[in-house]
Amino acid sequence: MSGRVIVITSGKGGVGKTTTSANIGTALAKAGNKVVLIDTDIGLRNLDLLLGLENRIVYTIVDVVEERCKLKQALVKDKKNPNLSLLAAAQTRDKSAVTQEQLKEICETLKKDNDFILVDCPAGIEQGFQNAIAGASEAIVVTTPEMSAIRDADRIIGLLSAREEIESYKLLLNRVRPNLIATNDMMSVEDVVELLACDLIGIIPEDTGIISSTNKGDPIVNDEKSLAGQAYRNVARRIMGEEVEFLNLEEDKNFFGKIKNFFEKTIKDIKAKI
Amino acid sequence: MSFFTSFYNKVFSFFKPQEVSEDNSVKEVARSRLKLVLMQDRTNLTPKILEQMRGELIDLLSKYVELDKDLLELNFEQEGDQVALMLSIPVIRAKDEKEIEEALKKDALLKGIKLADDDEEEESAESETADDESEDNTADDNNEEESTESVEEENSSEEHNSDNQENTAETV
Repeated sequence: MSGRVIVITSGKGGVGKTTTSANIGTALAKAGNKVVLIDTDIGLRNLDLLLGLENRIVYTIVDVVEERCKLKQALVKDKKNPNLSLLAAAQTRDKSAVTQEQLKEICETLKKDNDFILVDCPAGIEQGFQNAIAGASEAIVVTTPEMSAIRDADRIIGLLSAREEIESYKLLLNRVRPNLIATNDMMSVEDVVELLACDLIGIIPEDTGIISSTNKGDPIVNDEKSLAGQAYRNVARRIMGEEVEFLNLEEDKNFFGKIKNFFEKTIKDIKAKI
Repeated sequence: MSFFTSFYNKVFSFFKPQEVSEDNSVKEVARSRLKLVLMQDRTNLTPKILEQMRGELIDLLSKYVELDKDLLELNFEQEGDQVALMLSIPVIRAKDEKEIEEALKKDALLKGIKLADDDEEEESAESETADDESEDNTADDNNEEESTESVEEENSSEEHNSDNQENTAETV
């Protein structure tokens, strides 16, 4: 088995890299893949919190690198899904504790018996970023439809495209707010894609459920009713090579449009049942 | 009667979709600001240099055609991996040979004066302390020559479709 190493990066902080890593990782594992999540944000680790694994971490990536434990010992299994495990970052050290070569080596080792290795990248374009992308051959660039996030994403895309090892990079547009797009207060998905000239892998709507899911330590993909959860599950399916249509987040603005949508939906449902 | 029309308008406006202005919307502002800033980030060209480039292009093209300076657009566009420089020039009319010749002569004269100035400066620089200015000027001249070449290419393509506003592209 030779797994795929995908780095999840963004440039700007706070756009949802870690949330995305946790959710895509969980969704891929739920679909039957063996997945390892690596948190490379040494000193500011958070992926353990989002997965609800903060109390189970004994060894970190720094312990592996400094040979205080074996790689297998440092992998923490997810509570719900035995297919998913986490290699946590150390909280008390900094980015220089791990080198690019060491990370590459870890990825190579994990490739052998996993389908996917997702690397959660720290914000910025300095050493932490360089480390995180060292072992990856694919990248997902997370951004939101905001000025600074898009600008930073463009820098990241520039750096990724200059790197031969990265075979493909795709854009994940997070925290999309259809009501703001409808009133022309926010850039649309098409605008962002045009500006960044990068293929899309997912559109995630803003969802207040993310806050409670983070608070519970349970990724939102586990919530079957959530729209953001659905969007993340779709991203996972696209990563696995399926063709999945993007969710239609744009609501028709006027009254008649709403009625039309309602009827269209009902007819679709009835047709599906027949 | 007026009651009915106002009632009708009220009902109509209730069902009508909310009017959203396209051009001045927040989204459009954000889009155009970002477009500019991304282009600057990608190419390392500052607004000052762009303005200079625009000015030089106008000077150069004006020798051959009369153009609408205010409507000249200089944009960078992304086409896949490549960045293209898109130049849209509204041409009022093409100049005839005489005018072009005159313009060229005038230009040559100006350049001659400029070169002479440079020589003097160089001499003075040599006689006194070494001055950076002369170096700067020669560097500028080199730049001008380069831009002349590239724009001449554009002119040749302009001749083919001189009816419309031309879009000439040069890859950076």
